[in-house]
Amino acid sequence: MDAVIETRGLTKKFGDRIAVDSVDLTVPAGVAFGFLGPNGAGKTTLIRTLLGLTHATSGEVSLLGLPQPAKRADALARVGAIVEEPRFHPHLTGRENLSIVAAARDRASAERIPDALERVGLTGRAGDRVKTYSLGMRQRLGIARCLIADPALLILDEPMNGLDPAGILEMRRLIRAFVGEGRTVFLSSHLLDEVEKTCDYVAIVDLGRVVLQGAVGEIAATGEPSLVVEVDDEARAREVLGREPRVASVENDGISTLRLTLGDGLRAADVNRALVTAGVAVSRLEPARATLEETFLAITSRLGANE
Amino acid sequence: MRLVRAEILKLVRRRGLMAWTLILTVGAVIVVEVILVTLHAVNPEHHGPAGGQENMSHYLDVLLGLGTLVAIMVGSTAGSQDVANGVFRDLVVTGRSRSALFNVRVPGALLVLLPILAVAFALGVGGGFVFAADLGHPSGKVIGEYAAYIFASVLINVVIAVGLTSFASSRVVVGVLVAWNVLIGPLLLQISSLGGARRAIDVAAIDHFGPDQYVNDSVTMSTGAALLVLAIWIAVFNTAGRISTERRDA
Repeated sequence: MDAVIETRGLTKKFGDRIAVDSVDLTVPAGVAFGFLGPNGAGKTTLIRTLLGLTHATSGEVSLLGLPQPAKRADALARVGAIVEEPRFHPHLTGRENLSIVAAARDRASAERIPDALERVGLTGRAGDRVKTYSLGMRQRLGIARCLIADPALLILDEPMNGLDPAGILEMRRLIRAFVGEGRTVFLSSHLLDEVEKTCDYVAIVDLGRVVLQGAVGEIAATGEPSLVVEVDDEARAREVLGREPRVASVENDGISTLRLTLGDGLRAADVNRALVTAGVAVSRLEPARATLEETFLAITSRLGANE
Repeated sequence: MRLVRAEILKLVRRRGLMAWTLILTVGAVIVVEVILVTLHAVNPEHHGPAGGQENMSHYLDVLLGLGTLVAIMVGSTAGSQDVANGVFRDLVVTGRSRSALFNVRVPGALLVLLPILAVAFALGVGGGFVFAADLGHPSGKVIGEYAAYIFASVLINVVIAVGLTSFASSRVVVGVLVAWNVLIGPLLLQISSLGGARRAIDVAAIDHFGPDQYVNDSVTMSTGAALLVLAIWIAVFNTAGRISTERRDA
């Protein structure tokens, strides 16, 4: 699979402060790629550097297989981007704002404006001034502005910010639809849940460094195996499991439900046998998949502790 | 050309700016004409006809002063609106060069301004002819001098305003340029100890194209020198603005 974004040793410094620290990033084509990190982790700076909005201090960047900044115009002709919040000329209508950007792109861009507005559900409001738009409508207009480029790559900086639940759902559907059309969507977010629901691949960034990247499922599966057990007598179950040295930890995971971290070859069947033998009724026993959130928090807290 | 059209769209859709542009140019000339025509109609013994060369000069003097102010307003808006509205970065990520985005600002501003100024100018000149009565008609030479004078003033102020707004906010630029045109520039021209150095001041070069009453006798220069001074001012501010736009983070 070709990489649509590739960076090697990408670094951006502001004075002595390192905002992006030797980032090696590979974003495969045709996927939704989440760039996940806490606020201030360097997500927006990396996006600005990718797009040439600010100059990299060192390192290499390639967009759509084209080296940057040498082939900047060729690459950006097929890239749509929202950086930080989508901004527009408030005194112009939605349609006029798109025509302003279309004028800076190829001639076909202007012809795509009606379809782009239709796609994001803004045809009916396209003749209204943008200053009358809600934040959600501006987000959608920002997506429409990306679409007039017929982009192979969309770079969206915190696209869910400020959206209500319906807006978030709609944005997620749009992103998945873009991926279904063969486009690549690179989105930054600090919302773990959204990245997990929307993206195929993820890179976790903290303190300007990419600390982990790969398929969402694979990253969530990293860490020690765990087990969710529902029992009739929680206290007794804790007592039994406490005597088993291969159970690394036991935590509450709801009423009468325990979450165990297994170690040293301990299997679900072993746990079940030990509990039943001790007279504890087991009504549910299933392997627990670590969430992306757990992985993310484990990584970022570890980094924080190391600093 | 599409970028220039986009620049024009951004300016003409600003209702406030366009309203003030019309009021301070077309409106101002009409108001002065109405006043002079009314005075003549009410008291013809004390107030002569509202036309002729002298009254046309009054109309065009008003247009010169307020037209320069409007040029500063429109130029500073053209130079700052993309950045002020946060849209500049969205234009940059289209892949268009920053210099291309900068270079359309002056043509866009002039294409918005010049038709309006032309209407106001035609009204002023027309008043000189229509209301002339027994006064002589204005001479073609004076009309030509005013046309060149107003155009030079508008052009240089639009270019400087667009260039300066790459460094400062539009409000600051408007203040600085009004102060320069009204106070500082004319004051410098009065300082005789500056000698021939005063020829390098844009106000002196602009005045060279005006009717006789505007030419400072102690700061005379050839038309070629005046054109050269204006060209240098345009080149300096245009280049500085473009370089700043190319280098700034979007």
